[in-house]
Amino acid sequence: MLEQSKIDKITSDLLGSIRLNKSFMIWMGFLGVSLFVCLGAYVKQLTDGLVVTGLGDYVSWGMYLSNFVFFVATSLIGMLISAILGLSGAKWAAPLARIAEIIALAFAAVAGLVIVSDMGRPDRLLNVFIHGRVQSPIVWDITVVTGYVLISALFLYIPLIPDLKICSEKLDKIPPFQRKIYKILSLNWNGTLEQEKLLKQSTRMLAILIIPVAMAIHTVTSWLFASTPRAGWDSTIMGPYFVTGAFVSGSAAVIIAMYFYRKNYKLQDYITDFHFDKMGKLLVLVSLIYLYFNLNEYMVPGYKMKKFDAIHLNNLFIGGHAVMFWMVQIFGLIIPIILLLFKKMRKPLPMLLIGIAVLIGAWFKRYIIVIPTMEHPFLPIQNVPLHFKVYTPTGIEILVSIAPLILVLIIITLLSKVIPIIPIHETIEQLEEKH
Amino acid sequence: MYRIKFKIAIILGFTGLINFQSFAQNNWDVPADKKSKNSNIEFNSGTAKEGEGIYNTNCKSCHGDIGKNNSLQSLKPVPPDLSSAQSKALLDGELFHILNVGRGLMPSFKEVLPESDRWKVIAYMRSYDKDYVQIISKTDPAKANLVKIKMVFDSINSKLNVEVVANEKAGIVKLKNAEIALFVTRHFGKMQLDKTLRTDNNGNASFDFPKDLPGDKVGNVELIVRVNDEIYGEIESISKFKIAVPTDKPSLTEKRAMWNVLAKAPIWLILLYLSGVLLATGVILYIIYNLYKLSKSNNNLKN
Amino acid sequence: MSEQEEKPKKKTRREFLQQLGIVGIGSVLGSSAILAGINYDKKKTEGQRIRILTAENELLEIEKSDATPVVKTKYENLTYLQKQGRDGIEGKRFVMVIDLSKCQNARKCMSACQNAHHLRPEQHHINVLKMEETENTPPFYMPKPCQHCDNPPCVSVCPVDATFKRQDGIVLIDNERCIGCRFCIAACPYSARVFNWAEPLHAQEDADKTYDVELNVPQKKGTISKCLFSADQVRLGKLPYCVSACPNGVYYFGDENEDAVTNGTTKETVRFRKLLADNGGYTLMPELGTKPRVYYLPPKGKEVPFQEKDRDEAAEHLSHS
Repeated sequence: MLEQSKIDKITSDLLGSIRLNKSFMIWMGFLGVSLFVCLGAYVKQLTDGLVVTGLGDYVSWGMYLSNFVFFVATSLIGMLISAILGLSGAKWAAPLARIAEIIALAFAAVAGLVIVSDMGRPDRLLNVFIHGRVQSPIVWDITVVTGYVLISALFLYIPLIPDLKICSEKLDKIPPFQRKIYKILSLNWNGTLEQEKLLKQSTRMLAILIIPVAMAIHTVTSWLFASTPRAGWDSTIMGPYFVTGAFVSGSAAVIIAMYFYRKNYKLQDYITDFHFDKMGKLLVLVSLIYLYFNLNEYMVPGYKMKKFDAIHLNNLFIGGHAVMFWMVQIFGLIIPIILLLFKKMRKPLPMLLIGIAVLIGAWFKRYIIVIPTMEHPFLPIQNVPLHFKVYTPTGIEILVSIAPLILVLIIITLLSKVIPIIPIHETIEQLEEKH
Repeated sequence: MYRIKFKIAIILGFTGLINFQSFAQNNWDVPADKKSKNSNIEFNSGTAKEGEGIYNTNCKSCHGDIGKNNSLQSLKPVPPDLSSAQSKALLDGELFHILNVGRGLMPSFKEVLPESDRWKVIAYMRSYDKDYVQIISKTDPAKANLVKIKMVFDSINSKLNVEVVANEKAGIVKLKNAEIALFVTRHFGKMQLDKTLRTDNNGNASFDFPKDLPGDKVGNVELIVRVNDEIYGEIESISKFKIAVPTDKPSLTEKRAMWNVLAKAPIWLILLYLSGVLLATGVILYIIYNLYKLSKSNNNLKN
Repeated sequence: MSEQEEKPKKKTRREFLQQLGIVGIGSVLGSSAILAGINYDKKKTEGQRIRILTAENELLEIEKSDATPVVKTKYENLTYLQKQGRDGIEGKRFVMVIDLSKCQNARKCMSACQNAHHLRPEQHHINVLKMEETENTPPFYMPKPCQHCDNPPCVSVCPVDATFKRQDGIVLIDNERCIGCRFCIAACPYSARVFNWAEPLHAQEDADKTYDVELNVPQKKGTISKCLFSADQVRLGKLPYCVSACPNGVYYFGDENEDAVTNGTTKETVRFRKLLADNGGYTLMPELGTKPRVYYLPPKGKEVPFQEKDRDEAAEHLSHS
C-alpha cells in the first residue's frame, strides 16, 4: 500500500494547477481581446457576405475548409493516445490521456464552428437537420463530428469522476458553487468495487467505440474531397491518408500542450523526459506512415501524368504552390523525422520546436490539399476577374481562421483550470500496482 | 419572343459545308417555281413602313441602313446594301426564297417570321426602287377557307396521303402543283417530316411517314399539313393521328440514386447510416445508464 | 370560404370574376387553382380592359374595374411555385445541342442569360470558353451551360436537397433552401455553378418579388445560382433565353422523348438523334459518367475562324501540363 503522504503529495501537485493566478488572467485577457477582434471580422463577413473573403466561383473552398480539416485532424489524437494506446496496454501514455482528450474535445467542438464560418447562410444551419440528405458526405460529417464530440466529452468525463470527487474534497480555495458542481458531477463516487468496475467497463467501451467514430470523422472529412471527380482529390487513399496525417498533427499538438502544461503547472515529476521521448518516437512512427501515404498519393499519379493530374502535380512540384509544398514536406515531415531519430532531440525543448514546425506544416498541408485542386478545374477559368483565378486569403479571412485557434486555446486553458490535467486517481492506482 | 437581333455581324451558315470563296453575290440558285412567286400583299407606304420595323430588328445589323451602303464590311461575303443594283435585279420570288432558306452566314427566316412579314420586308426594300412595279400574286386570301385537306394514313407503306381540294361554287377543284409540306407538332415548334412536295394533277401528295417518330403515351401525334397555292394562298390543316410510336418513358427521378431525394436514397446507404448511428447511440446510452448505476451504487451501499 | 367549393367547376366568366373578388377579400385556402396566379397588368388605369391568365391557362380580357386582385400571401405563392418547380414537367426529358461549328463568340447567350437571371457580369450560368484541347488541334469557342447531368455529382453531395433533379431532367437550385456550403461547386466537373458572394445585383428591386425556383430570381446572398435550362420558359413552350438569343444558330433545344430539337435562331425543328448522328455529336467528359443532357457537335468546318487575339487565352489552360 502506498503511504498516505505520497498520495497527498500527488494530489496536491496535480490539483496545483486549479487556481486562478495573475498569469492566467493576463493570458485569458489576451485571448479574449484577440477573440473579440476576430469576431468583429466575422460580423463583417455576416453583413457583407463571403465577398469579404478571397474566395470565388472556382476556388470556392479556401482557408476555412483547410482550417476545418486541420481541426478535425488534430482532434483525432484523443482516439490514438487514449483508446489505441490505452487498450494496447501502453502504460506510459496514461498521464497524457487527459491532455489528449482535452485537445480532442476542444478541436472537434471548434471544428463544428469552423465549418459554420464557411457557410454562406449560417442562419439556415437547421436545414441540415430538417432537410438532411443521407447521401451527402456533409450530413455524414455532421453526424460523426457530433458523435465524436459527445464521445470525447464522455471519454474525458468518465475517467475524471474519481478526480472530481477529490476536487470537491481537497480543493480548499474554491467558491461553494464550484464545489457543488464537482460534487454533483462526481456522481456520488466513493471508490467502491462496483463503482470501479462500472467505471472501468464504461471507459473500455468508450475506448472501443471512439476508434471507429474517430476513423469515421476523418475519413468522412476526406470524402468531402474524394467524393468529387477533381484531380488531386479523386483518390481512393484519401481516407487513410487523412487519418495518418491527423495523427501527425495531433501528436504535435499534444507535445506542445505537454510542454506548456508541464512548465506552467510544474508537472515535471509527472510529465517527464521519458514521456517526451515516447511521444517523440510516436511522432516518428506516425510521420513515417504519413510519408508513406504521401509517396503513394503523389508518385502514383506522377508516374502516369494524366492530363489533369499533370496540371495539378506540376503546380505543386514546380508551379505556383511549389514553395509551400516543399516547405511542408521538408520542414513539416522529413526533417522532423530525421531529427527525432536522435535521442537528444527527444528532450522537451527540441520537441516543442519540432512539434510547432510539424503543426504549422500540418496546417499548410491542408491548405495544399484544398486550394491547388480548386484552382485547376477541368475546364478553363475565363471571363471572370483575376481574383477568381488565383486565390489569396484576405485579412478578414485570416482573422476568422484564427478565431477557432483562440477558442481552442481558451477551452484548453479553462479546462486545465477546473480539472486536473493529469489523472490523479489513475496515477495513484498505477503507483499502487507497482508496489 | 421570337424576335432575333443580329447586332453582331458574324452570322454563320447552316450547312457549314459551303465554301465561302465560291460566294458570288448573284449566284443564288433559285428554282424556277420559287422565282415566279409573288406577294399577295400590296407593296405600299403602309406595308413598307411595317417592313421597316421588321427590317430594323432582323436585318439591319448586317445589311445596314438601306441606301447608305453601311452594311457590315467585316463579313465575307459582305452583305449587300439592299438598294444596290444587284439587289434590285432580283425578282420578288428570288428575294423571298433567299429570306426563306438563307445561305452561308445568312440565316433562314422561314420559321422566324410569318410569310406576311417576310413580304413586308421586301415591300420596304422595294420602297427604295422607284422603277419597281409590283406584280401582285393571283392569290386570293378569301378563298383559303374553301380549301379542304384530307389526310389518310397508309400503314402498310407508312405513307401519309394528302388530298387537297377546293369547294368552289362551280364544283370541286383539285389543287394542282401546290406546294405542300407535312409537319409534326413538338414541344418547341413544328418539325417537318419528309421533303416539301407539290401536289399532282389530282391534288394528291404522298409523304413518307417515319416509322420511328415518337408520339405521346398511346402514339398520338398532331400532324400539320401546310399547303401553299398560287391562287388559294397558304392553308394549314391540323389533325391528330394515332400512328406514331407510343412513348412513355419513365420519369428520370423514378429510381433510387445517390443524387435523388432522401426518400429515394439507395437502401444500402440508408441501412449503413442508420445502423452506424443506432449502434453508436446504443453504446452511448448504455454508458450513460452505467453512469446512472454508478451514482446509485454508492447510495445502495450507504443504505 | 365554402362558397368556392359549392360552385360547379365550370363557371361563366362573370361568376369567375365575382369569385375573384370574394376570394380576394377572404382567404385563399382551398382554392389552389387560383394560387396559380393571375397576372394582371399594374400599369393600366381604371376603365381599361386588361388581360388575365387563369390558372387553366385561359386568357381573358376584362374591364379592369371588374377585377379584384387576389391577395395572396407570399408564402402561399411561394409554396405553389416551389411545388411546380420541384415536380418538373411530366413526360419530358429536355436536351440541348450546341453546334460548335457555328459559335463565333458573339456572347448574346451570356448577356441574355445574365439579364434574365439578374446576374452580375462575372456570374455565368452559361460561359463561352476559348478552348484548345491539345497543342496541334485547332482552338474553338465552346458555350458551356450546366450539363444537367443524369448522374449529377452536384446533386449527390447537396446536404439539404437544395439542388435537385426533376423528372424532366432539369437540375435546379432552390435558394430558399440552400445553406451556402458550396459542396456542389466543388463537385461539379464542369464549373457550372456560381455563388452569390455579395448582395445580388438587383437585390433591392427584387426584394418584393416572390421567389421562383424555375427562374432563381430574386437571387439571394450566400446561395448558389446555376443554369436552369430556363425552366420557366420551357414550361410555357418557349426556348431558353440563351437559345433564342443566339444570332448564329448554335443552339438547339428540345425533348429527347419527342426526338426533336428546335434551333434557337431559325426556329427549325429537327430530329434530335439524327442531328447527333449526322454531325458526330458527343458529350463533355463522358468518362466521368455524369451523363450530361447537353450534347455538342464538333467545331468542324467553321466558316469564321477562331480570333487570333483569343489564342493565348485558349492555350493557357493547357500550358500548365
